[in-house]
Amino acid sequence: MIQLTNVSKIYPNGARALVDVNLKIGKGNFVFLVGPSGAGKSTLIKLLYREEIPTRGQVQINSKNLVRMREREVPYLRRSIGVIFQDFKLLPNKTVFENVAFALEVIGVAKREVRNRTLLTLELVGLKAKERAYPHELSGGEQQRVCVARAIINNPALLVADEPTGNLDPDTAWDIMDLLYDINKRGTTIVMATHARAIVNKMQKRVIAIENGRVARDEEKGGYGYDA
Amino acid sequence: MLNSSGYIFRETINSMRRNPWLSLASVVTVMVSLMILGYSIFFLANASNLAKSFESELEIGAFVETSFTPEEVQDVKSQIEQMQGVDSVTLVTKEQALEDIGKTLGSTQSNIISDVGGTNPLPDMFTVKVTNPQNVVALADSVKALPGIYKVRYGQDFVDQLLKFTQWLRWIGFGVVAAFGVAAVVLISINVKMNVFSRRREIQIMKLVGASNSFIRWPFLIEGLALGLVGGALAAVIVGIGYNWITVYVQTSLTFLPVVQNEVLFRQVSVGLLLGGMAMGALGSIFSLQKFLRA
Repeated sequence: MIQLTNVSKIYPNGARALVDVNLKIGKGNFVFLVGPSGAGKSTLIKLLYREEIPTRGQVQINSKNLVRMREREVPYLRRSIGVIFQDFKLLPNKTVFENVAFALEVIGVAKREVRNRTLLTLELVGLKAKERAYPHELSGGEQQRVCVARAIINNPALLVADEPTGNLDPDTAWDIMDLLYDINKRGTTIVMATHARAIVNKMQKRVIAIENGRVARDEEKGGYGYDA
Repeated sequence: MLNSSGYIFRETINSMRRNPWLSLASVVTVMVSLMILGYSIFFLANASNLAKSFESELEIGAFVETSFTPEEVQDVKSQIEQMQGVDSVTLVTKEQALEDIGKTLGSTQSNIISDVGGTNPLPDMFTVKVTNPQNVVALADSVKALPGIYKVRYGQDFVDQLLKFTQWLRWIGFGVVAAFGVAAVVLISINVKMNVFSRRREIQIMKLVGASNSFIRWPFLIEGLALGLVGGALAAVIVGIGYNWITVYVQTSLTFLPVVQNEVLFRQVSVGLLLGGMAMGALGSIFSLQKFLRA
Protein backbone atom coordinates (compact mmCIF):
# COMPACT_ATOMS: atom_id res chain seq x y z
CA MET A 1 0.00 0.00 0.00
CA ILE A 2 2.84 2.38 0.88
CA GLN A 3 6.08 2.29 -1.04
CA LEU A 4 9.09 4.58 -0.62
CA THR A 5 11.80 4.20 -3.23
CA ASN A 6 15.27 5.74 -2.68
CA VAL A 7 13.73 8.63 -0.79
CA SER A 8 15.96 11.45 0.40
CA LYS A 9 14.80 14.67 1.97
CA ILE A 10 17.10 17.65 2.38
CA TYR A 11 15.48 20.76 3.84
CA PRO A 12 16.29 24.19 2.37
CA ASN A 13 18.52 24.91 5.38
CA GLY A 14 20.67 21.92 4.39
CA ALA A 15 19.46 19.50 7.04
CA ARG A 16 19.46 15.93 5.70
CA ALA A 17 16.33 14.49 7.27
CA LEU A 18 16.12 11.28 5.23
CA VAL A 19 18.81 9.51 3.22
CA ASP A 20 18.00 6.91 0.62
CA VAL A 21 15.07 5.29 2.41
CA ASN A 22 13.38 2.24 0.89
CA LEU A 23 10.21 0.93 2.55
CA LYS A 24 7.16 -1.14 1.80
CA ILE A 25 4.17 -1.18 4.09
CA GLY A 26 1.32 -3.50 3.26
CA LYS A 27 -2.40 -2.90 3.53
CA GLY A 28 -3.72 -3.36 7.07
CA ASN A 29 -0.27 -3.19 8.65
CA PHE A 30 0.38 -1.63 12.02
CA VAL A 31 3.85 -0.05 11.97
CA PHE A 32 5.81 1.75 14.67
CA LEU A 33 8.44 4.27 13.65
CA VAL A 34 11.04 4.58 16.42
CA GLY A 35 14.34 6.34 16.78
CA PRO A 36 15.99 9.30 18.48
CA SER A 37 14.50 12.79 18.22
CA GLY A 38 15.48 14.48 14.97
CA ALA A 39 16.23 11.17 13.26
CA GLY A 40 13.67 11.78 10.53
CA LYS A 41 10.52 10.09 11.84
CA SER A 42 8.36 13.19 11.54
CA THR A 43 9.68 13.90 8.07
CA LEU A 44 8.77 10.38 7.00
CA ILE A 45 5.26 10.85 8.41
CA LYS A 46 4.90 14.16 6.59
CA LEU A 47 5.88 12.54 3.31
CA LEU A 48 2.98 10.13 3.72
CA TYR A 49 0.29 12.80 3.82
CA ARG A 50 2.22 14.96 1.39
CA GLU A 51 2.94 17.78 3.75
CA GLU A 52 6.46 17.44 2.37
CA ILE A 53 7.79 16.23 -0.98
CA PRO A 54 11.05 14.26 -1.08
CA THR A 55 14.09 15.91 -2.58
CA ARG A 56 14.87 12.65 -4.42
CA GLY A 57 13.02 9.37 -4.83
CA GLN A 58 9.37 8.39 -5.08
CA VAL A 59 6.55 7.99 -2.58
CA GLN A 60 3.59 5.88 -3.61
CA ILE A 61 0.37 5.26 -1.74
CA ASN A 62 -2.13 2.86 -3.28
CA SER A 63 -0.06 3.14 -6.48
CA LYS A 64 -0.59 6.89 -6.56
CA ASN A 65 2.66 8.78 -6.96
CA LEU A 66 2.72 11.57 -4.39
CA VAL A 67 5.72 13.29 -5.96
CA ARG A 68 4.26 13.66 -9.41
CA MET A 69 0.81 14.44 -8.02
CA ARG A 70 -0.66 17.80 -8.99
CA GLU A 71 -1.50 20.30 -6.28
CA ARG A 72 -5.21 20.11 -6.95
CA GLU A 73 -5.19 16.31 -6.48
CA VAL A 74 -3.70 16.61 -2.99
CA PRO A 75 -7.02 17.32 -1.20
CA TYR A 76 -8.45 14.08 -2.59
CA LEU A 77 -5.41 12.12 -1.40
CA ARG A 78 -5.83 13.64 2.07
CA ARG A 79 -9.42 12.49 2.24
CA SER A 80 -8.13 8.92 2.23
CA ILE A 81 -5.53 9.58 4.94
CA GLY A 82 -6.23 10.38 8.59
CA VAL A 83 -3.63 12.27 10.62
CA ILE A 84 -3.21 12.39 14.42
CA PHE A 85 -0.85 14.74 16.24
CA GLN A 86 0.82 14.94 19.59
CA ASP A 87 -0.80 18.34 20.21
CA PHE A 88 -4.25 17.27 18.91
CA LYS A 89 -4.75 20.42 16.80
CA LEU A 90 -8.37 20.92 17.81
CA LEU A 91 -10.19 24.18 17.13
CA PRO A 92 -10.67 25.80 20.57
CA ASN A 93 -13.84 27.72 19.72
CA LYS A 94 -15.69 24.68 18.37
CA THR A 95 -17.37 21.95 20.38
CA VAL A 96 -16.36 18.30 20.19
CA PHE A 97 -19.16 17.66 17.74
CA GLU A 98 -18.22 20.65 15.59
CA ASN A 99 -14.54 19.74 15.57
CA VAL A 100 -15.29 16.27 14.24
CA ALA A 101 -18.04 17.39 11.89
CA PHE A 102 -15.69 20.03 10.50
CA ALA A 103 -13.74 17.34 8.64
CA LEU A 104 -16.88 16.43 6.69
CA GLU A 105 -18.32 19.92 6.33
CA VAL A 106 -15.27 21.26 4.55
CA ILE A 107 -15.31 18.54 1.94
CA GLY A 108 -18.90 19.32 1.09
CA VAL A 109 -20.80 16.44 2.72
CA ALA A 110 -24.54 17.01 3.12
CA LYS A 111 -25.68 18.28 6.51
CA ARG A 112 -27.77 15.28 7.54
CA GLU A 113 -24.99 12.88 6.63
CA VAL A 114 -22.47 15.00 8.55
CA ARG A 115 -24.64 14.71 11.64
CA ASN A 116 -25.16 10.97 11.38
CA ARG A 117 -21.55 10.11 10.70
CA THR A 118 -20.24 12.46 13.39
CA LEU A 119 -22.45 10.91 16.06
CA LEU A 120 -21.48 7.43 14.92
CA THR A 121 -17.77 8.24 15.07
CA LEU A 122 -18.06 9.93 18.46
CA GLU A 123 -19.72 6.79 19.74
CA LEU A 124 -16.89 4.71 18.34
CA VAL A 125 -14.24 6.72 20.25
CA GLY A 126 -16.43 6.80 23.37
CA LEU A 127 -17.14 10.54 23.45
CA LYS A 128 -20.82 10.71 22.60
CA ALA A 129 -21.64 12.09 26.04
CA LYS A 130 -19.23 14.98 25.54
CA GLU A 131 -20.34 16.14 22.14
CA ARG A 132 -21.25 19.62 23.41
CA ALA A 133 -18.06 20.16 25.40
CA TYR A 134 -15.28 22.47 24.26
CA PRO A 135 -11.71 21.15 23.97
CA HIS A 136 -10.49 23.06 27.06
CA GLU A 137 -13.14 21.25 29.11
CA LEU A 138 -11.68 17.84 28.19
CA SER A 139 -8.77 15.83 29.53
CA GLY A 140 -5.76 15.20 27.30
CA GLY A 141 -6.92 11.68 26.54
CA GLU A 142 -10.37 12.90 25.60
CA GLN A 143 -8.90 15.57 23.36
CA GLN A 144 -6.82 12.96 21.58
CA ARG A 145 -9.95 10.88 21.09
CA VAL A 146 -11.57 13.85 19.37
CA CYS A 147 -8.51 14.10 17.15
CA VAL A 148 -8.75 10.38 16.36
CA ALA A 149 -12.45 10.72 15.62
CA ARG A 150 -11.74 13.57 13.21
CA ALA A 151 -9.00 11.53 11.55
CA ILE A 152 -11.12 8.42 10.97
CA ILE A 153 -14.51 9.94 10.22
CA ASN A 154 -13.85 9.79 6.50
CA ASN A 155 -12.98 6.04 6.70
CA PRO A 156 -9.39 6.56 5.59
CA ALA A 157 -7.36 3.63 4.27
CA LEU A 158 -4.31 4.96 6.09
CA LEU A 159 -3.97 6.53 9.52
CA VAL A 160 -0.67 8.25 10.32
CA ALA A 161 0.13 9.38 13.85
CA ASP A 162 3.04 11.51 15.03
CA GLU A 163 3.61 10.67 18.70
CA PRO A 164 -0.10 10.48 19.51
CA THR A 165 0.57 9.50 23.13
CA GLY A 166 3.42 11.96 23.70
CA ASN A 167 1.31 14.30 25.83
CA LEU A 168 -0.65 11.63 27.70
CA ASP A 169 -0.11 9.75 30.93
CA PRO A 170 0.52 5.98 30.53
CA ASP A 171 -3.02 4.82 31.34
CA THR A 172 -4.61 7.30 28.95
CA ALA A 173 -2.00 6.41 26.36
CA TRP A 174 -3.11 2.79 26.55
CA ASP A 175 -6.74 3.85 26.01
CA ILE A 176 -5.70 5.57 22.81
CA MET A 177 -3.65 2.54 21.73
CA ASP A 178 -6.65 0.28 22.31
CA LEU A 179 -8.64 2.59 20.09
CA LEU A 180 -5.98 2.53 17.37
CA TYR A 181 -5.77 -1.25 17.69
CA ASP A 182 -9.52 -1.51 17.04
CA ILE A 183 -9.28 0.82 14.09
CA ASN A 184 -6.45 -1.29 12.67
CA LYS A 185 -8.51 -4.44 13.18
CA ARG A 186 -11.17 -2.92 10.95
CA GLY A 187 -8.65 -2.80 8.10
CA THR A 188 -7.04 0.62 8.37
CA THR A 189 -3.28 0.74 7.87
CA ILE A 190 -1.57 2.57 10.73
CA VAL A 191 1.87 4.17 10.75
CA MET A 192 2.78 5.64 14.12
CA ALA A 193 5.93 7.48 15.13
CA THR A 194 6.52 7.10 18.86
CA HIS A 195 8.91 7.23 21.79
CA ALA A 196 6.63 5.08 23.97
CA ARG A 197 8.85 2.10 24.73
CA ALA A 198 6.31 0.18 26.80
CA ILE A 199 3.67 0.42 24.09
CA VAL A 200 5.99 -0.72 21.31
CA ASN A 201 7.31 -3.62 23.35
CA LYS A 202 3.90 -4.80 24.44
CA MET A 203 2.05 -4.51 21.09
CA GLN A 204 4.55 -6.70 19.17
CA LYS A 205 3.96 -5.02 15.81
CA ARG A 206 6.34 -4.23 12.98
CA VAL A 207 9.02 -1.77 14.13
CA ILE A 208 11.05 0.43 11.80
CA ALA A 209 13.93 2.29 13.45
CA ILE A 210 15.16 5.48 11.82
CA GLU A 211 18.61 6.81 12.71
CA ASN A 212 20.30 9.76 11.03
CA GLY A 213 17.75 9.64 8.29
CA ARG A 214 18.34 5.98 7.40
CA VAL A 215 16.39 2.81 8.13
CA ALA A 216 18.53 1.23 10.85
CA ARG A 217 16.26 -1.71 11.64
CA ASP A 218 13.05 -3.16 10.29
CA GLU A 219 11.56 -6.19 12.03
CA GLU A 220 8.19 -7.87 12.35
CA LYS A 221 6.94 -8.16 15.91
CA GLY A 222 9.84 -6.03 17.09
CA GLY A 223 10.61 -4.20 20.30
CA TYR A 224 11.51 -0.56 20.97
CA GLY A 225 15.15 -1.52 21.09
CA TYR A 226 16.75 1.57 22.64
CA ASP A 227 18.01 1.65 26.19
CA ALA A 228 16.32 4.12 28.42
CA MET B 1 -20.87 23.44 -3.55
CA LEU B 2 -24.47 23.83 -2.37
CA ASN B 3 -23.62 22.17 0.94
CA SER B 4 -20.78 24.61 1.43
CA SER B 5 -22.55 27.87 0.68
CA GLY B 6 -23.82 28.25 4.23
CA TYR B 7 -20.35 27.70 5.60
CA ILE B 8 -18.80 30.18 3.19
CA PHE B 9 -21.38 32.84 3.96
CA ARG B 10 -20.95 32.43 7.72
CA GLU B 11 -17.19 32.66 7.46
CA THR B 12 -17.38 35.80 5.33
CA ILE B 13 -19.53 37.57 7.91
CA ASN B 14 -17.35 36.33 10.77
CA SER B 15 -14.12 37.52 9.24
CA MET B 16 -15.55 40.97 8.51
CA ARG B 17 -16.58 41.22 12.14
CA ARG B 18 -13.13 40.20 13.30
CA ASN B 19 -11.44 43.37 12.00
CA PRO B 20 -14.17 46.01 11.86
CA TRP B 21 -11.83 49.02 11.65
CA LEU B 22 -9.68 47.54 8.96
CA SER B 23 -12.82 46.58 7.06
CA LEU B 24 -14.07 50.14 7.41
CA ALA B 25 -10.76 51.54 6.20
CA SER B 26 -10.81 49.20 3.19
CA VAL B 27 -14.37 50.20 2.33
CA VAL B 28 -13.60 53.91 2.69
CA THR B 29 -10.51 53.81 0.47
CA VAL B 30 -12.36 51.89 -2.20
CA MET B 31 -15.15 54.43 -1.89
CA VAL B 32 -12.88 57.48 -2.13
CA SER B 33 -10.99 56.18 -5.14
CA LEU B 34 -14.18 55.31 -6.97
CA MET B 35 -15.84 58.58 -5.98
CA ILE B 36 -13.01 60.50 -7.55
CA LEU B 37 -13.23 58.26 -10.59
CA GLY B 38 -16.99 58.83 -10.84
CA TYR B 39 -16.80 62.61 -10.52
CA SER B 40 -13.92 62.75 -12.97
CA ILE B 41 -15.94 60.81 -15.51
CA PHE B 42 -18.89 63.18 -15.12
CA PHE B 43 -16.65 66.22 -15.28
CA LEU B 44 -14.96 64.98 -18.44
CA ALA B 45 -18.32 64.12 -19.99
CA ASN B 46 -19.50 67.64 -19.30
CA ALA B 47 -16.30 69.18 -20.57
CA SER B 48 -16.50 67.31 -23.85
CA ASN B 49 -20.17 68.16 -24.08
CA LEU B 50 -19.31 71.80 -23.57
CA ALA B 51 -16.55 71.58 -26.14
CA LYS B 52 -18.93 70.04 -28.64
CA SER B 53 -21.55 72.72 -28.15
CA PHE B 54 -18.91 75.37 -28.71
CA GLU B 55 -17.46 73.58 -31.69
CA SER B 56 -20.84 73.52 -33.31
CA GLU B 57 -21.19 77.28 -32.98
CA LEU B 58 -21.56 78.45 -36.57
CA GLU B 59 -20.26 81.95 -36.04
CA ILE B 60 -16.90 83.48 -36.77
CA GLY B 61 -16.05 86.93 -35.54
CA ALA B 62 -13.63 88.83 -37.84
CA PHE B 63 -12.12 92.16 -36.75
CA VAL B 64 -11.23 94.82 -39.30
CA GLU B 65 -8.21 97.14 -39.09
CA THR B 66 -9.37 100.51 -37.72
CA SER B 67 -7.52 102.30 -40.53
CA PHE B 68 -9.92 100.89 -43.16
CA THR B 69 -12.51 103.25 -44.65
CA PRO B 70 -16.16 102.20 -44.81
CA GLU B 71 -15.78 101.50 -48.57
CA GLU B 72 -12.85 99.20 -48.00
CA VAL B 73 -14.84 97.50 -45.26
CA GLN B 74 -17.73 96.90 -47.66
CA ASP B 75 -15.22 95.45 -50.13
CA VAL B 76 -13.93 92.97 -47.57
CA LYS B 77 -17.51 92.06 -46.69
CA SER B 78 -18.36 91.13 -50.26
CA GLN B 79 -15.18 89.07 -50.49
CA ILE B 80 -16.24 87.07 -47.46
CA GLU B 81 -19.74 86.67 -48.82
CA GLN B 82 -18.31 85.08 -51.95
CA MET B 83 -16.46 82.39 -50.03
CA GLN B 84 -17.89 78.91 -50.20
CA GLY B 85 -19.73 77.71 -47.13
CA VAL B 86 -20.62 81.16 -45.91
CA ASP B 87 -24.26 81.59 -45.05
CA SER B 88 -24.40 85.28 -44.25
CA VAL B 89 -22.17 88.13 -43.21
CA THR B 90 -23.34 90.87 -40.88
CA LEU B 91 -21.34 93.98 -40.21
CA VAL B 92 -21.24 95.28 -36.71
CA THR B 93 -19.80 98.76 -37.08
CA LYS B 94 -17.64 100.30 -34.41
CA GLU B 95 -20.45 102.71 -33.65
CA GLN B 96 -22.89 99.88 -33.05
CA ALA B 97 -20.35 98.04 -30.97
CA LEU B 98 -19.80 101.10 -28.84
CA GLU B 99 -23.51 101.56 -28.44
CA ASP B 100 -23.84 97.95 -27.29
CA ILE B 101 -21.15 98.45 -24.72
CA GLY B 102 -22.70 101.74 -23.68
CA LYS B 103 -26.03 100.06 -23.18
CA THR B 104 -24.58 97.45 -20.92
CA LEU B 105 -22.75 100.16 -18.99
CA GLY B 106 -25.87 102.33 -18.84
CA SER B 107 -24.77 105.42 -20.79
CA THR B 108 -25.59 107.08 -24.14
CA GLN B 109 -23.40 107.12 -27.26
CA SER B 110 -22.35 110.72 -26.94
CA ASN B 111 -21.03 110.48 -23.46
CA ILE B 112 -19.45 107.06 -23.87
CA ILE B 113 -17.20 108.47 -26.61
CA SER B 114 -16.11 111.19 -24.30
CA ASP B 115 -15.77 108.65 -21.55
CA VAL B 116 -13.26 106.65 -23.63
CA GLY B 117 -11.29 109.73 -24.61
CA GLY B 118 -13.07 111.26 -27.63
CA THR B 119 -12.31 108.59 -30.25
CA ASN B 120 -13.95 105.20 -30.66
CA PRO B 121 -11.26 102.58 -29.94
CA LEU B 122 -13.35 99.67 -31.18
CA PRO B 123 -12.84 97.99 -34.58
CA ASP B 124 -15.51 97.10 -37.07
CA MET B 125 -16.43 93.44 -36.89
CA PHE B 126 -18.06 90.93 -39.19
CA THR B 127 -20.21 88.17 -37.82
CA VAL B 128 -19.87 85.35 -40.33
CA LYS B 129 -22.45 82.60 -40.22
CA VAL B 130 -21.25 79.30 -41.62
CA THR B 131 -23.43 76.61 -43.21
CA ASN B 132 -21.42 73.60 -41.96
CA PRO B 133 -19.70 73.51 -38.56
CA GLN B 134 -16.90 71.39 -40.00
CA ASN B 135 -15.86 74.28 -42.24
CA VAL B 136 -15.49 76.74 -39.37
CA VAL B 137 -11.76 76.27 -38.90
CA ALA B 138 -10.89 76.41 -42.63
CA LEU B 139 -13.14 79.41 -43.23
CA ALA B 140 -11.76 81.24 -40.22
CA ASP B 141 -8.27 80.75 -41.66
CA SER B 142 -9.21 82.09 -45.10
CA VAL B 143 -11.05 85.03 -43.58
CA LYS B 144 -8.00 85.85 -41.54
CA ALA B 145 -5.86 85.77 -44.70
CA LEU B 146 -7.90 88.62 -46.21
CA PRO B 147 -6.27 92.10 -46.23
CA GLY B 148 -7.64 94.27 -43.49
CA ILE B 149 -8.67 91.43 -41.14
CA TYR B 150 -6.30 91.37 -38.22
CA LYS B 151 -8.01 88.87 -36.00
CA VAL B 152 -10.66 86.16 -36.09
CA ARG B 153 -12.37 84.55 -33.16
CA TYR B 154 -14.44 81.42 -33.13
CA GLY B 155 -15.49 78.63 -30.77
CA GLN B 156 -12.35 76.66 -31.46
CA ASP B 157 -10.24 79.05 -29.40
CA PHE B 158 -12.20 78.22 -26.32
CA VAL B 159 -12.48 74.60 -27.26
CA ASP B 160 -8.71 74.28 -27.59
CA GLN B 161 -8.16 75.68 -24.15
CA LEU B 162 -10.88 73.52 -22.70
CA LEU B 163 -9.37 70.43 -24.27
CA LYS B 164 -5.94 71.32 -22.94
CA PHE B 165 -7.45 71.65 -19.48
CA THR B 166 -9.39 68.40 -19.68
CA GLN B 167 -6.23 66.66 -20.88
CA TRP B 168 -4.50 67.78 -17.71
CA LEU B 169 -7.45 66.87 -15.61
CA ARG B 170 -7.58 63.45 -17.18
CA TRP B 171 -3.98 62.74 -16.16
CA ILE B 172 -4.31 64.15 -12.68
CA GLY B 173 -7.60 62.32 -12.18
CA PHE B 174 -6.04 59.13 -13.48
CA GLY B 175 -3.10 59.52 -11.11
CA VAL B 176 -5.26 60.19 -8.05
CA VAL B 177 -7.63 57.34 -8.87
CA ALA B 178 -4.68 54.99 -9.44
CA ALA B 179 -3.06 56.00 -6.13
CA PHE B 180 -6.25 55.49 -4.17
CA GLY B 181 -6.96 52.29 -6.08
CA VAL B 182 -3.57 50.86 -5.12
CA ALA B 183 -4.13 51.91 -1.50
CA ALA B 184 -7.53 50.23 -1.52
CA VAL B 185 -6.13 47.00 -2.95
CA VAL B 186 -3.32 47.00 -0.37
CA LEU B 187 -5.74 47.61 2.50
CA ILE B 188 -8.08 44.87 1.36
CA SER B 189 -5.17 42.51 0.97
CA ILE B 190 -3.96 43.33 4.50
CA ASN B 191 -7.49 42.78 5.72
CA VAL B 192 -7.74 39.38 4.07
CA LYS B 193 -4.23 38.48 5.17
CA MET B 194 -5.07 39.19 8.80
CA ASN B 195 -8.13 37.00 8.55
CA VAL B 196 -6.12 34.23 6.97
CA PHE B 197 -3.66 34.59 9.82
CA SER B 198 -6.28 34.54 12.55
CA ARG B 199 -7.76 31.42 10.98
CA ARG B 200 -4.47 29.66 10.25
CA ARG B 201 -5.24 26.71 12.56
CA GLU B 202 -8.56 26.19 10.92
CA ILE B 203 -6.97 26.42 7.49
CA GLN B 204 -4.28 23.94 8.50
CA ILE B 205 -6.91 21.44 9.57
CA MET B 206 -9.01 22.09 6.50
CA LYS B 207 -6.03 21.24 4.33
CA LEU B 208 -5.30 18.20 6.46
CA VAL B 209 -8.74 16.69 6.08
CA GLY B 210 -8.77 17.36 2.36
CA ALA B 211 -10.76 20.54 1.82
CA SER B 212 -10.04 21.70 -1.70
CA ASN B 213 -8.03 24.87 -2.14
CA SER B 214 -10.92 26.63 -3.79
CA PHE B 215 -13.14 25.78 -0.83
CA ILE B 216 -10.58 27.30 1.54
CA ARG B 217 -10.15 30.37 -0.65
CA TRP B 218 -13.80 31.17 -1.30
CA PRO B 219 -14.64 32.88 2.01
CA PHE B 220 -11.59 35.13 1.69
CA LEU B 221 -12.28 35.92 -1.92
CA ILE B 222 -15.90 36.70 -1.13
CA GLU B 223 -14.81 38.83 1.78
CA GLY B 224 -12.59 40.93 -0.51
CA LEU B 225 -15.36 41.13 -3.09
CA ALA B 226 -17.88 42.20 -0.45
CA LEU B 227 -15.59 44.92 0.91
CA GLY B 228 -15.00 46.21 -2.61
CA LEU B 229 -18.65 45.99 -3.51
CA VAL B 230 -19.75 47.95 -0.45
CA GLY B 231 -17.14 50.62 -1.22
CA GLY B 232 -18.26 50.74 -4.85
CA ALA B 233 -21.94 50.96 -3.93
CA LEU B 234 -21.31 53.81 -1.48
CA ALA B 235 -19.27 55.61 -4.13
CA ALA B 236 -22.04 55.14 -6.70
CA VAL B 237 -24.66 56.51 -4.31
CA ILE B 238 -22.54 59.49 -3.28
CA VAL B 239 -21.54 60.32 -6.86
CA GLY B 240 -25.18 59.99 -7.95
CA ILE B 241 -26.56 62.24 -5.22
CA GLY B 242 -23.72 64.73 -5.51
CA TYR B 243 -24.02 64.98 -9.26
CA ASN B 244 -27.76 65.48 -9.04
CA TRP B 245 -27.24 68.25 -6.55
CA ILE B 246 -24.61 69.95 -8.72
CA THR B 247 -26.87 69.63 -11.76
CA VAL B 248 -29.75 71.35 -10.01
CA TYR B 249 -27.41 74.09 -8.78
CA VAL B 250 -25.90 74.73 -12.21
CA GLN B 251 -29.26 74.69 -13.97
CA THR B 252 -30.73 77.29 -11.65
CA SER B 253 -27.77 79.64 -11.27
CA LEU B 254 -25.56 79.09 -14.33
CA THR B 255 -28.31 78.58 -16.86
CA PHE B 256 -26.08 79.10 -19.90
CA LEU B 257 -23.95 76.03 -19.07
CA PRO B 258 -25.18 72.86 -20.73
CA VAL B 259 -25.19 69.96 -18.21
CA VAL B 260 -25.01 66.33 -19.21
CA GLN B 261 -28.02 64.42 -17.93
CA ASN B 262 -27.66 61.12 -19.63
CA GLU B 263 -29.52 58.21 -18.05
CA VAL B 264 -27.39 55.68 -19.91
CA LEU B 265 -24.15 57.32 -18.79
CA PHE B 266 -25.51 57.43 -15.26
CA ARG B 267 -26.24 53.74 -15.25
CA GLN B 268 -22.95 52.88 -16.92
CA VAL B 269 -20.97 54.84 -14.35
CA SER B 270 -22.88 53.23 -11.45
CA VAL B 271 -22.31 49.73 -12.78
CA GLY B 272 -18.71 50.65 -13.53
CA LEU B 273 -18.12 51.81 -9.97
CA LEU B 274 -19.64 48.61 -8.57
CA LEU B 275 -17.52 46.46 -10.86
CA GLY B 276 -14.47 48.58 -10.06
CA GLY B 277 -15.01 48.00 -6.35
CA MET B 278 -15.38 44.27 -6.86
CA ALA B 279 -12.28 44.18 -9.01
CA MET B 280 -10.25 45.95 -6.31
CA GLY B 281 -11.60 43.55 -3.71
CA ALA B 282 -10.84 40.48 -5.78
CA LEU B 283 -7.36 41.78 -6.58
CA GLY B 284 -6.65 42.44 -2.90
CA SER B 285 -7.79 38.95 -1.90
CA ILE B 286 -5.87 37.23 -4.65
CA PHE B 287 -2.66 39.04 -3.71
CA SER B 288 -2.83 37.90 -0.12
CA LEU B 289 -4.12 34.40 -0.84
CA GLN B 290 -1.36 33.55 -3.28
CA LYS B 291 1.22 33.88 -0.56
CA PHE B 292 -0.65 32.04 2.17
CA LEU B 293 -2.40 29.18 0.44
CA ARG B 294 0.19 27.91 -1.97
CA ALA B 295 0.05 24.22 -1.23
